Amino acid sequence: MRGWGRYRSLAPVLVLVLLCLIIASINSNFLSVSNFIRLLSAAAIPMVLVMGATFVILMGSIDLSVEGVVALTAVAVSMLVANDFTSLDLGFLSLPVALFVGGLIGFANGLIHVRLQIPSFMTTLGIGFACVGIATAILGGYTVRISDRGFRDLTLGRVLGVPFSVWTAALAVLIAWVIQERTRIGRWVYAIGTDEVTARQVGVPVERTRLWVFTIAGVFYGLGGAMSAAQLGQGHALLSQGRLFTTITAVVVGGTALSGGVGSVLNSVIGVLIVVVLTNGMVLMGIPPFVQLGVQGVLIIIAVALALDRTRLAVVK
Amino acid sequence: MTAVLEVRGGSKSFPGVKAMDDVTVQIGRNEVVGLIGENGAGKSTLLKVITGIYQLDEGELIVNGQQLALASPRDAFDHGVAMVFQEQSVLSTLSIAENIFLGREQEFLRFGLIDKKRMNSAARDELAKVRLDLDPAKRTADLTFAERQMVEIAKALSLDSRIDGEVIILLDEPTSVLEQREIDILFEIIEDLKQRASILFISHRLDEVLAVSDRVYVMRDGKVVHEVKADAAELHDLHQHMVGRQLDHRYYREQRQRTAGERVILEVGGLGKEGQFDDVSFQLHEGEILGIAGVVGSGREALARCLAGLEPADHGEITVDNQPTRISAPYQAVGAGIGFVPSERKVEGIVAALDVAENMSLAAKGRFLRRGLIDFAAERETAMAWVDRLGIKTPSIRTPGGSLSGGNQQKVVLAKWRIADSGVMILDHPTRGIDVGAKEEVYELIRDMAEEGLGVLLLADTLEEVIGLSSRILVMKDGRVSKAFEAPVGGKPEQVDLIEAMV
Amino acid sequence: MMPAVVKDQLPLIVLLLLVLVVSSIDSGFMAPGNLLVVTADTMTLFLMAAGATFVIMTGGIDLSIQAVASMTSCIVAALLPKLGFTAVPITLLAGAVFGVMNGLVTTKLRIPSFVATLAVSGVATSVAFLVSDARSVLIAAADRDAYLAWAVGDLGPLQNEILVGLVVLIGLTLLYQFTTFGRFIRAIGSQEQAVIASGIHADRIKILAFILSGTMAGLAGVVMAGRLGSGSPTLANEFLLPAIACIIVGGTAITGGVGSVWRTFIGALIIAVVRIGMTFIGVSVFAQQIVFGLILVAAVAITMDRSKVATVK
Repeated sequence: MRGWGRYRSLAPVLVLVLLCLIIASINSNFLSVSNFIRLLSAAAIPMVLVMGATFVILMGSIDLSVEGVVALTAVAVSMLVANDFTSLDLGFLSLPVALFVGGLIGFANGLIHVRLQIPSFMTTLGIGFACVGIATAILGGYTVRISDRGFRDLTLGRVLGVPFSVWTAALAVLIAWVIQERTRIGRWVYAIGTDEVTARQVGVPVERTRLWVFTIAGVFYGLGGAMSAAQLGQGHALLSQGRLFTTITAVVVGGTALSGGVGSVLNSVIGVLIVVVLTNGMVLMGIPPFVQLGVQGVLIIIAVALALDRTRLAVVK
Repeated sequence: MTAVLEVRGGSKSFPGVKAMDDVTVQIGRNEVVGLIGENGAGKSTLLKVITGIYQLDEGELIVNGQQLALASPRDAFDHGVAMVFQEQSVLSTLSIAENIFLGREQEFLRFGLIDKKRMNSAARDELAKVRLDLDPAKRTADLTFAERQMVEIAKALSLDSRIDGEVIILLDEPTSVLEQREIDILFEIIEDLKQRASILFISHRLDEVLAVSDRVYVMRDGKVVHEVKADAAELHDLHQHMVGRQLDHRYYREQRQRTAGERVILEVGGLGKEGQFDDVSFQLHEGEILGIAGVVGSGREALARCLAGLEPADHGEITVDNQPTRISAPYQAVGAGIGFVPSERKVEGIVAALDVAENMSLAAKGRFLRRGLIDFAAERETAMAWVDRLGIKTPSIRTPGGSLSGGNQQKVVLAKWRIADSGVMILDHPTRGIDVGAKEEVYELIRDMAEEGLGVLLLADTLEEVIGLSSRILVMKDGRVSKAFEAPVGGKPEQVDLIEAMV
Repeated sequence: MMPAVVKDQLPLIVLLLLVLVVSSIDSGFMAPGNLLVVTADTMTLFLMAAGATFVIMTGGIDLSIQAVASMTSCIVAALLPKLGFTAVPITLLAGAVFGVMNGLVTTKLRIPSFVATLAVSGVATSVAFLVSDARSVLIAAADRDAYLAWAVGDLGPLQNEILVGLVVLIGLTLLYQFTTFGRFIRAIGSQEQAVIASGIHADRIKILAFILSGTMAGLAGVVMAGRLGSGSPTLANEFLLPAIACIIVGGTAITGGVGSVWRTFIGALIIAVVRIGMTFIGVSVFAQQIVFGLILVAAVAITMDRSKVATVK
């Protein structure tokens, strides 16, 4: 296994390439330009969400509030732009509001987690619940319809033939990458995820970093929420269902370890692509929709088994 | 002499132990000070006080003429005190440069972003100080152990140009993981360093300490018992101060040592594990206490772990009670009657959430089962008996194991294997981290085991301990048994004999 | 500092207080009939959480219980007409098989249970879709009365769901208290390496915990199918997080080592009383989830023993 260990970090890319080759050999439509754009478009929102979640997981924590934040910000945005529920028409001004609300919830996650010393698992689970609850309470089961065409172009509009959502996602990846590589927070995330006690000893402000990371994650989810609303042209409390598990799956399949310290936002880009290509490919290969989830489950296990270096862990929980 | 760092009348207590008792030490400008003492003498407590991990109960800490209460290692660092940790503090997922400047990236920020080019070039300068020619952007996971140690030293030295006062570098057992060639380089570096910094050098290898130090302090039982200029020091003399007493036969219960029986209960033939040890063969008899001595890296720890099934051996044979036995997992070792008392008691010994009785019956298989259910009455009775017999201080047998003191936890772990009827006991540093009184009790227990016909394999904390307790001693060096000594009462080998075979 | 007894029994005290608060606002809540209905409605949630409690006590997690429960509701509904009562044990076996899968992936492939059980969920959902053909599978009233009455009928004033819940509570409590299995579960959650070093097959114990979890999720699926008169691949959706919540609210530590099935039972009732109580008090259905989320956080804040963990992640 020693030989494989050196190439282990390339496993996710390998899985992605293999997957593409298999799908393309079965259905050549996979390689068409239109399918390619469809893939990118499907990957856009997950990509934005995953950028936030990656930092949290790199730190050894977890964030289960994705769905809640996305739902709440999507509902907020849908009510701020021209719609059939309120008489507001803020247009693109709703976007900073979404980022701010997302960041605020992320900050609340961080604050509760750090100050009350509650594991992030429970904190974000509870806050996520509460957010979906707020979204539900505001709308009372109603679905807001967005009538602002201009705002919907935030995802649907095309530049150079590629949907705007893809450009947005690309920008999000770039920002996340800069945060990871070039800021102190980014470096401290790795330090904390690798060995929190040592990091604290050499002077890394652990609590402050945690607060920042949950806040940053919230901002990304806020962006994802705004994009969801624009893409669907709707806002309702359940529009984010399924986002949480896709997000975490993508992070892990990309090769970022749940135990922290190992991985990167670029890994997560690959992870999202694997998940999206897999979904797309199963449709193209004519795998019955029922079976797709199962195939996905099995492939996740294979991908993680290949990518995760578990030798350094004495016990796996 | 102007002291750049001084501890004056410093004391520090922990529940049940006075780890530092009225300690006064000084480190002069550009001086290399050696600090020696046995395990538990108070060296590491003193270090932790100087680096801000612990705070003094009494006394003063004076750094660069300022009386301080250091709150954390970072705080100490900012005052010019840098520690090169024994357990390495280099983070494997970060690059060399990032490690050197972790938590101090401020000076490389431009518009809030880290200027990596500038950081790497600054790191290259620091690496040059320790004559390390490595790419600063390289991840430290890809470095050798020794290189990482050097990176730590470089990190400590980076303080040099960044603070006003003098830099004080603490080297805690820096040679224990280094090869001779690397040790030579380290010593040259220390010579260089003297021009720019003051150094506290901690080691248990007396010859090394004498080689690099200007002055030496000896600690024992939490006190500084001796101070001497290095060029005036005698090795034998230092050792006497370190141990503090003429070897006392009663301390190790030598009057209870018996000749081992004839019956072989454990036989190891040609056992080996790649990179750890090779071609190890020996017999363990009933009633025998077989000591295994060796420095870190001699392979003795790995050997013990292989016999306990915690790591698989690559080749060789293990025979228990004349039965060839395959041991690649702990359950096989336990099934064969091998009990293992680990050096990391809190990791592999005690289960904190289980109570005393539950901990004791953990390895007992079906002994306390009746029709598949736990027989609480029988368990209780046995646990009470062992609590009594071993003098375990606990409010009740239903007290969680995690809330006992170290010595009592160790006795619970010993009782576990006695209850499991293990015929072979592997004791990996059984007295590590427990206080003197509890140590003597453990010695009694070890003698009890031998008297009852168990075979004991002992990896002791100190040479004195291994000589005092064992009836035979194997010395390991570079993964092989380099020499064997008989150690009957009255005919015990000298420490120097063992050391000769060890290094 | 709270006295140890109070701290230990905090979930029970909270439950009693909640019942008092709700009934002081609406005395109808205290009516025995109503309390029994509340309890009966809670039992499916309890069943799902009961087995998963063991997994959480080892320090792992089982996120597949919702998918497995949905799947077994489909299986039992599909098999009842053909096999009669035999369908029930076969369905439970199916739940157990998914537990084995979870256990093997976690212990043999050494994939963290969070991801492993998430992935196995996908497989369970696929099986559910295949069995049900993506539709609700109706259970004929005659079949239900004949084969599932033990789960959904009444015994005098008592709903049978409550009896099933009590049997499970007692059975699992005995298993936890009086067998080495229960003890090892706790030990693994506290210090797995010490357990392994003592010669215990920790992996086997962990696999058994997953099997228990899968089987109980299967039982929950059967009871749900009986109550609703049908099985469906999405029947237990929205049950996963509440199930984990009731384990935690009961005072079982998410980090492992501390907990019990009894605590989960109390936790399930707390969650039920909070939910139903809010309706009684007049909190809008839509706002209930907010309160629910906050209570979850508060419960952990109060019950968690931070002295035992070095770093909180």
